[in-house]
Amino acid sequence: MNVTIKSIEYYLPSKTEDGNTLKKENPDWRLEDIEEKTGVNIRYISAPEQTATDMAALAAEKIFSSGVQKEEIEFLILITQSPDYALPTSACILQDRLGLDKSCMAFDVNLGCSGFIYGLAIGGSLIETGLAKKGFVICSETYTKYIDKSDRTCRPLFSDAASAALLSSSDHNDIGPFEMGTNGAGFNNLILPSSGTRVNDQQADEKKLFMDGSEVFMFAMDMVPKCVTALLDKSRKTIKDIDLFVFHQASKLVIDNIIRRLRLPKEKVFVNYHRIGNTVSASLPIALKDAANGKRLKKGDQVMLVGFGAGYSWGACLVQWSVNL
Amino acid sequence: MADSKEQEVVELIANALEIDAKSLTLESTSNDVEEWDSLGHLGILADLDKFYDGKISGIREMAQVDSIEKMLQLLKDNSLL
Repeated sequence: MNVTIKSIEYYLPSKTEDGNTLKKENPDWRLEDIEEKTGVNIRYISAPEQTATDMAALAAEKIFSSGVQKEEIEFLILITQSPDYALPTSACILQDRLGLDKSCMAFDVNLGCSGFIYGLAIGGSLIETGLAKKGFVICSETYTKYIDKSDRTCRPLFSDAASAALLSSSDHNDIGPFEMGTNGAGFNNLILPSSGTRVNDQQADEKKLFMDGSEVFMFAMDMVPKCVTALLDKSRKTIKDIDLFVFHQASKLVIDNIIRRLRLPKEKVFVNYHRIGNTVSASLPIALKDAANGKRLKKGDQVMLVGFGAGYSWGACLVQWSVNL
Repeated sequence: MADSKEQEVVELIANALEIDAKSLTLESTSNDVEEWDSLGHLGILADLDKFYDGKISGIREMAQVDSIEKMLQLLKDNSLL
């Protein structure tokens, strides 16, 4: 059984925040330096009552409005680290919200910026093994709810967003091969402390995102080039064979340095962090959709997707672009 | 007293922090230099990695180094200086 991405849609909250907001609330921040390094000029902020499940539903509904039938959806994989509840599974709530058939598999995957790659691998496997013919890989995050207003490391980077990708069986395979990896030794460098059952008494009220920017940067600089090289080797391709590289939109500093390390031609790398921000797992599908809308992708193009982040967790895969947007 | 290679690294650090190299000494730490905050450190790491052609990103201790002296020592320990 072969797998393809049929369509991608996304949703961004209506509230935005730019540098002026940050400067007004934190006059001691060197905003020019922050914006030069992050490259992010605008961030999207979910409403206080709006959850990842709410946003996920809005992204998925856009796919239904293009003519896809709800009863066709046989699996719903929700990639999120900001679920409505620790339990039950947000994907189950979303199955009901979207009116999907009760025979639909629905489950969450708790991964951050590598999540979309894992979603493609899992969803693709469900189709390849004949368990399903069509399903959703939805990425939705509301990280901004976890971020302290005075956090100069995280606040200038992260946006809230949801994406929905429709995977389908096909007469040709468009997804793969994959290269994935994990290094849990870095778990403490990008973490929401006291968010589960392991609670440090002193941090009990401190459910705020913590990121050690230098550690995470070093991880990305070390691992992403290795991952890209390994996938090129595995697929017997070179940089010349790839039409477009789409990296997780971590920040300008991270992507610029990946480009340098891999000696990539800049025109082969798509970026949209400046006008979207870092939307965690939704970042790759949003970038894909924007690249296609901006005519940076055309049918038949060979795309390399690379996600990396919290865990540490990373993954890359090749996608033969076949979506007619 | 920094030798010429060490001085080159000090100048690179100053450049990354967008400050005058004369304001840095071997004893300077991130606590003494206002511009050497978490973002400033990212700039240092990126510029050093560029200077050493990708050899810095494999040295994880670089993420936590908080003084010029320790940074130079780490570069020496890894045969880069």
